[in-house]
Amino acid sequence: MAHLTNNFSEWVNQQVDGDSPFAFSEALRSASLSKLATGVFPTRKDEEWKYTPLADLFDSKPGEETAGVLDTEFIRSLKQAMPSAHTIVFLNGEYSEEYSDSRAMLEDSGLSISRLPQLEGTALKLAEDTILKSTLTDDNIFQHIALGLSQNGLFIEVKKNVECQTPIHVIYISTARGVTAFTSPVNVIRVSSNSHLKVVEQYASLGEATVITVPASYVQLEDGAGLDYYKIGMENAKTNHICNTSVRVAGSGTFRSHQYLLGSNLTRSNLEVSFTGPGAEAVLRGVYLGDEKQHLDVRTYLDHAHPHCSSDQHFRGILNGHSRGVFNGLVLVREHAQKTDAQQSNKNLLLSRDARIDTKPQLEIFADDVKCTHGATVGELDSDALFYLQSRGIDQKDATLMLTRAFAAEVTQEIDIDSLRTYVQGKIAASLDEIVIPSV
Amino acid sequence: MLSIKNLQVSVEGKPILKGLNLEVNPGEIHAIMGPNGSGKSTLAHVLSGREGYSVDAGSAQYKGLDLLEMAPEIRAREGMFLAFQYPIEIPGVNNTSFLKKALNEIRKHRGEEELDAIDFLSLIKKQMKLVEMKEELLKRPVNQGFSGGEKKRNEILQMAVLNPTLAILDETDSGLDIDALRIVAGGVNKLRSPNNSFVVITHYQRLLDYIVPDFVHVLSNGQIIKSGTKELALELEERGYDWLLEEAESKA
Ligand SMILES: Nc1ncnc2c1ncn2[C@@H]1O[C@H](COP(=O)(O)OP(=O)(O)OP(=O)(O)O)[C@@H](O)[C@H]1O
Ligand SMILES: [Mg+2]
Repeated sequence: MAHLTNNFSEWVNQQVDGDSPFAFSEALRSASLSKLATGVFPTRKDEEWKYTPLADLFDSKPGEETAGVLDTEFIRSLKQAMPSAHTIVFLNGEYSEEYSDSRAMLEDSGLSISRLPQLEGTALKLAEDTILKSTLTDDNIFQHIALGLSQNGLFIEVKKNVECQTPIHVIYISTARGVTAFTSPVNVIRVSSNSHLKVVEQYASLGEATVITVPASYVQLEDGAGLDYYKIGMENAKTNHICNTSVRVAGSGTFRSHQYLLGSNLTRSNLEVSFTGPGAEAVLRGVYLGDEKQHLDVRTYLDHAHPHCSSDQHFRGILNGHSRGVFNGLVLVREHAQKTDAQQSNKNLLLSRDARIDTKPQLEIFADDVKCTHGATVGELDSDALFYLQSRGIDQKDATLMLTRAFAAEVTQEIDIDSLRTYVQGKIAASLDEIVIPSV
Repeated sequence: MLSIKNLQVSVEGKPILKGLNLEVNPGEIHAIMGPNGSGKSTLAHVLSGREGYSVDAGSAQYKGLDLLEMAPEIRAREGMFLAFQYPIEIPGVNNTSFLKKALNEIRKHRGEEELDAIDFLSLIKKQMKLVEMKEELLKRPVNQGFSGGEKKRNEILQMAVLNPTLAILDETDSGLDIDALRIVAGGVNKLRSPNNSFVVITHYQRLLDYIVPDFVHVLSNGQIIKSGTKELALELEERGYDWLLEEAESKA
């Protein structure tokens, strides 16, 4: 890695040369390591990274971290989001026997969940195949960091015609103290024909150390399959989180994703969905809520390569303090993708003068019989609505809170797991409570 | 109750209210009529504390308090209520929880105990019957997707629940069918008491058949140019405003 001079890249370099154990596929690992050996980290000169400062990340040099104590109350509070799910907990990158639900790893009428290091035989082949078939346009070095250096992760597989009643709740917690901690979980989810599954990924950190999390997730849905995929990011202000998610949806499949980015110092979430057959559907939702110096960056890429597919995106940002949001959504409708229905909407609320959003919804259409709309707005709270509430006796702070919560609720109300909706709305309300100060 | 003296208000440098005087005593109902653009809504907004208006001269006292110095929410908590001419939609804010919050803020201010969900629900259900509003509208966001008439009924529902001392109704009758008109008027008459006062802004004498005012005022070009009893409204209905405007001009 010739061009690199920063702490983090030096560390990556050392890992490439070293022989740390890898989670599962030797073939994937060495392919990614060789990419890393010649790869270059993005800078602000790269169009795709123009708004995203990586200086904090580059300054960090991961080492052997010391795990801090984990308050069981904390775990319990995280589990509140999904009290009746199969819970799987990764603590500082390691699978936690203690906090995970032991039933979760059992094969359960068509659903199997395995830890990557334990994969073998056909399951291993399937997981490898899912990753190999995936494509990420945002061909970034972080995918290779995840694949090259990952120590752990999950392979979740659903056989044909299975309605999975129990959702899966995967929790990643960092308690690191002292030196910078690095984790890069790789998750592979494969849902076979006409089966349905719900997965919630939740990220939290509570140590004093800087944490770098570089997850990579690969999803493949076969004909008529459905996945509801939730991501809840609530790490502390010492965490930098850069994730890539690649999703392939076959004919008549449905992929529904919700992302709630409510924490971290920096998060960049890149979500790419390609339709690999006709009649498939993707629904992408998200809220990013930033304060102080947080940087929250959401990228989506939708590849409409087949006819009669629909995609519907709705992302909302609330930015306070000096925080910065980025929304970059590209919808590509290829020549043969007739009857495509693609909607994309990004709305932002700036609560302070120093907050900033860069939003760039993009459509590239090469088919002629399509219905596509996109739009972005940036604004402040509606002063007429504020006055209406105040004229009924509600003070300015509470009125601001109500309207800001309502702004987020336009998205969160679509969470169709009751406990999770309550949890996310509660987290958003609690954060807003802290950041909204009356302006008089 | 309400004492407005020589009130002069401008918007973006343009004078709108030009020396308005009005005295409302407890228990009275005052009707304000007047041509479009004469400043009726401006008066209502200034009294309830909306931003964007500059008060250039004059005063407004409410229960002996300097009204114009109070934040809008304090005015509301002190018992003022404005039924908006154009109630806005507030997506994402539930109608019921909004109204419960509003009521409890007012109760707290009065030193009363807050109502819990159950007590509030039974109160609101009772008041909904009064305005004959569909229960389903309670579950929706404030005014969202409501028809014009439903929005107006929702304003009266809020008034009935919040039980104000001084209510200003800005063209609550506009856009209502005859049945709705009767219902809205019924809501007002239910609240009527020796302690409560109303300022009813309207274009139609018809409403005043249902809500019988003690006084009728004509607001024109930012001033009250004529005050009288309910007979004045009948006369206006017959003769229009022109004769009054001429009369006012010749006086000036
Ligand atoms: N924000 C504003 N900016 C500029 N002019 C304004 C503003 N608000 C009100 N006005 C003007 O002030 C005048 C009075 O308006 P107002 O709404 O008070 O009239 P009104 O008597 O309520 O009329 P209507 O009977 O049509 O409801 C109008 O000429 C209106 O255009
Ligand atoms: Mg008006």
